[in-house]
Amino acid sequence: MIDERTEEVASLYALDLLESGEKSAFEAALRQDSALRSLVDELRQSSSALFAVAPAATPSAALRARVLAIPGRSAPAAAPAKVETNVLPFRLPVWSPWAVAAGFAVATGWFAQLYVATEASLVAAREGAAIARVESESTRQLLEAERLLGQRQIADLRTADVRIAQLQQQADLASFKISSLASLLGESSEAQAIAVWSPAAQQGVLSVEKLPALAADQDYQLWVVDPQYPIPVDGGVFTVDPASGTARLAFRPKQPVAQVAKFAISLERKGGVPKAEGPMVLLSP
Amino acid sequence: MSSPSLSPEPAERSRQDEDARLLQLVASGDRDAFARLYDRFSKPLFSIALRVLSDAREAEDIVHDVFVSLWEKSGGFESNRGSAFAWCVTMTRNRAIDRVRARKRRSELLSESVPSDLGYEVNEAGAGDSADELWGKEKAAAVRAALANLPAEQRAALQLAYYSGLTQQEIAEKLREPLGTVKARIRRGLLKLREFLPSRL
Repeated sequence: MIDERTEEVASLYALDLLESGEKSAFEAALRQDSALRSLVDELRQSSSALFAVAPAATPSAALRARVLAIPGRSAPAAAPAKVETNVLPFRLPVWSPWAVAAGFAVATGWFAQLYVATEASLVAAREGAAIARVESESTRQLLEAERLLGQRQIADLRTADVRIAQLQQQADLASFKISSLASLLGESSEAQAIAVWSPAAQQGVLSVEKLPALAADQDYQLWVVDPQYPIPVDGGVFTVDPASGTARLAFRPKQPVAQVAKFAISLERKGGVPKAEGPMVLLSP
Repeated sequence: MSSPSLSPEPAERSRQDEDARLLQLVASGDRDAFARLYDRFSKPLFSIALRVLSDAREAEDIVHDVFVSLWEKSGGFESNRGSAFAWCVTMTRNRAIDRVRARKRRSELLSESVPSDLGYEVNEAGAGDSADELWGKEKAAAVRAALANLPAEQRAALQLAYYSGLTQQEIAEKLREPLGTVKARIRRGLLKLREFLPSRL
């Protein structure tokens, strides 16, 4: 049984409307659930029907010529290889067994190489799946942290009406924006971060891992890119645990944010700067 | 949830079988089948790309790229997951949307005049229509009838989602509705469309 929330995400996925974080999480769920895959296929099929509301138009004759020239440039990937079974019209030379043996040895080597390459691909795929699981778990934990943070704030409110309004806002998980930030520095290629942003509360939670340790006169600084401002909005500074490179930051940008286009983290001097000066370390897609 | 209308009618099934057969031939390198598929699919695919991009040259580039993929990757088509035509429609639409998103900034998209209902332009059948064109027109009429069963707000949300290249948030801004409401409309609209369509494409 697929619940309404999952149907909603499946509908948005079928129309290519999920953002990267949501999309990765949903695709992980798709891999595990054949019923969900069927639903997505059906929704895609249904959405394809919308082609019919486009006004009918005819491409130029030149396009037909261009398209029909395509087969001359490449072969279909699935085209089966043609097997020749001709009888040899001459007697095999005396050295042919040696040639066969040499060919067998070369083929064996090639297959061994192929085996090693395939094994490496499998290991990479397994690692990719493990990373996806960690990201999914990390996102779940962040959402839980955000929920607890919201509950604590609600506890501080004085009137019941305000509490109810806050609860409703916090409960609307669908409005959260979740972004993963990828490393931009070669030496910190393992660094990663996840930002959870609540547009309604104008605050967020940032969790980073494996960032390089800072010098005493440096801070990392979070930036929120909002297209309404000419420069990114300051999201606050933070340091990381020198041993693990981890940090968690509850942030509230210095200016109201209408639309988060990207999150970025730069390396700045201690205390932060009003406009990014140092190198960008992490950036969301 | 049930999907009562996904089994194609006999004529539609025959057409889909022919499309799938042509695609199989293309996968084995049959150029005539490739040309036949172009003649069957090119007009609707071009119409979608043109509707999304509003630029005939770019729309032709998209259709060309789709046929490159069709030639090179037709072996990867899985007929149990949908029809060949729907596969090509999705490929065309997604590529056109990707191009829109790449070339336009969000603010430009929002400032453009995207009508809330993207039209029910009727393509009148003419004396010179080919069988493929007549099929396309009959299919379009059936889809419009299915769409007419949807509440106007669901129809508007669906059409913006399909053709505009806007994000969920931008669609909500465009329609001046909360994001949650827009998501719910898209879900309900798509599920109803699945239910109302006389057969799959």
